[in-house]
Amino acid sequence: MNPQSILTLFDDNALRAMGPLLALAAGALLVLLAGIVPILGSARGLIVMATLGVTAALQIDHWRDPIGPVLDATYMADKGTAAFGLMFVAATLLAWLYSVHYYKEDRPFQGEHDFLMLVTPLGMTMMAGAQDLLVFFVGLEVLSIPLYALAAFRRNRLRSVEAGMKYFLLGAFAAAFFLYGAGLIYMASGSVTFSDLRGAATHSPLFQAGVALVMASVFFKVSVFPFHLWVPDVYEGSPTPVTALMATGTKAAAFAFLLNAAFLIPPVQSTLVVAIAVITMAVGNLGALMQKDVKRMLAYSGIAHAGTILLVLAGYMNGDILRGAAFDAAVFYLGAYVFTAAGAFGLLAVLEQSDHPVTTFESLKGLAQRRPYVAAAMTLFMLSLGGIPATGGFLGKWFVFSVSYRSGFVAATILGALLSVVGMAYYLRVIVAMYMQPESKDAGPREAQAPGLPMACATAVCVVFVIAMGVMPNLFLDRLP
Amino acid sequence: MAEVFFYALSALAVLFALGVVLAKSPMMSVLNLLGSFFCLSVIYLLAGFQFMAAAQILVYAGAILVLFLFVIMLLNLGDISAHSTGFLGALRSTGAKIGVAVAVAIGLALLISVNLGMLGLKPAESLPDGIDGMTGIATELFGRYALPFEAVSVLLLATMVAVVVLAKRQRPGTDARKS
Repeated sequence: MNPQSILTLFDDNALRAMGPLLALAAGALLVLLAGIVPILGSARGLIVMATLGVTAALQIDHWRDPIGPVLDATYMADKGTAAFGLMFVAATLLAWLYSVHYYKEDRPFQGEHDFLMLVTPLGMTMMAGAQDLLVFFVGLEVLSIPLYALAAFRRNRLRSVEAGMKYFLLGAFAAAFFLYGAGLIYMASGSVTFSDLRGAATHSPLFQAGVALVMASVFFKVSVFPFHLWVPDVYEGSPTPVTALMATGTKAAAFAFLLNAAFLIPPVQSTLVVAIAVITMAVGNLGALMQKDVKRMLAYSGIAHAGTILLVLAGYMNGDILRGAAFDAAVFYLGAYVFTAAGAFGLLAVLEQSDHPVTTFESLKGLAQRRPYVAAAMTLFMLSLGGIPATGGFLGKWFVFSVSYRSGFVAATILGALLSVVGMAYYLRVIVAMYMQPESKDAGPREAQAPGLPMACATAVCVVFVIAMGVMPNLFLDRLP
Repeated sequence: MAEVFFYALSALAVLFALGVVLAKSPMMSVLNLLGSFFCLSVIYLLAGFQFMAAAQILVYAGAILVLFLFVIMLLNLGDISAHSTGFLGALRSTGAKIGVAVAVAIGLALLISVNLGMLGLKPAESLPDGIDGMTGIATELFGRYALPFEAVSVLLLATMVAVVVLAKRQRPGTDARKS
């Protein structure tokens, strides 16, 4: 490309495609300014909500009128990116709403917290729209670095600092893997843009080694076996609203990239992907059975869910006919998971803030008497995570298993369905603790407080979406690509 | 002539790299690292990558190593040979063995695969305006990669805020409890 032709890259389409990213960046800067400009200071919450609202509006605009590849095919603004972009906005908004009244001694840093939280969807959107390994990598870092800090945000708690440290060290290794892999891919093919890689010599050993390294790094982010060991510790130690963001947003963003980059993996390797998916489901579900802490249990359940979506990826790689169905299934599953998991983690944040500082099964006993609404909402989220009909989680599982069955992975589908049944055991344990077990006597003092309006709103949104996705899936599916 | 230089510099770079790992005092490690970076940058020059050579010196030797030195001087680490006994020492020697084994394995694998032509490597095609032309780099950076280039500025800002949040001391009037 010659220097004169650069200007043709930045046409109206490119600027429109950049809209959501620019809105997020501008909003994040305003939040930072709110810390020093007195007029803005009291309006910080308003700025966060307005930013996310504008971003959502721009993404809906992209959804209705997709733009296609821009900036020399390094970024794609199509319906898929818009669907994922809306998911990221929802995840960030929910995590932020749950965080408003969550922190106590770290309250003075809430402004920085909100800034960091608002930067993450920028990275996620770049990851979802990336058609180039370089764009993806920068997006990954824009997502990861704020999350490292947010994981360690409660600096006076050893567990939080430990979580941040673990996440940072392992994340740095994963980033190095990615760069090394991208370097090998460049060496073998002379490009890191997907449109060039589609026709490249994918069978050369250098190329495949590069793809393996890149995939290892992304599998780390989506917490798939054997790169899942960090998940329980980091999810448990991080502040719960941040855990909600990590569990939903990061996972969705990394899976969006996996769907875009699935063509890099040779189709013959789909058996390997299926094997990884089944092992991940087994590790997640069996690990969750043994947990005493609900947050750790949800972390293992997140691993199991990542395995389930990986089944779709295998189907996506395998056949051209199923590609559309597989994409829809993955997006629907992730959408349902965003609202369910954000709601479940969020309710734990509510309990931590107002009821009991720890989140063991023990602390949930008798919750139905103390907090009937919280217990009812938690029950709905557990049923959705387990895949009980009339919830979004059920239909997500249904679509995923039907795609993996039709792509010929019958044994894996049956195993996956059986493992989901195993999963019901620990989701039901939460419900049993809340409704059928009396409160233990030495439970310690409780600070009975109302959860506050933001948390109540966030929970209401989650409940509405989980039920709506389960009862009226056409509302969402018709709009999918 | 260039080949002689290349092999001499490569050997020197490897020696310096070994020095980084084997040096007893952290200060010597840093100085060895500096030597290794210099050798690498001269290799870049030999290959015709002037910009990369300059960036290597400016960024790594100029900025990052100075930071390393600051940290080492501020922390006043002194001699770390005391750590090389007991469990940590055993861990270090095991780590060294594994490291040597991995290095030898990678070297052998590369030697074999390059000699057998398995990697299908071709010499790099030169860019239209010559190898490592600044125009080429600028066109890529401000053209098709404008999005990640601009996003890096957000990334740096976020990193800065993240570091401040984590490093800033607790403000007075709040309790510092541990769990």
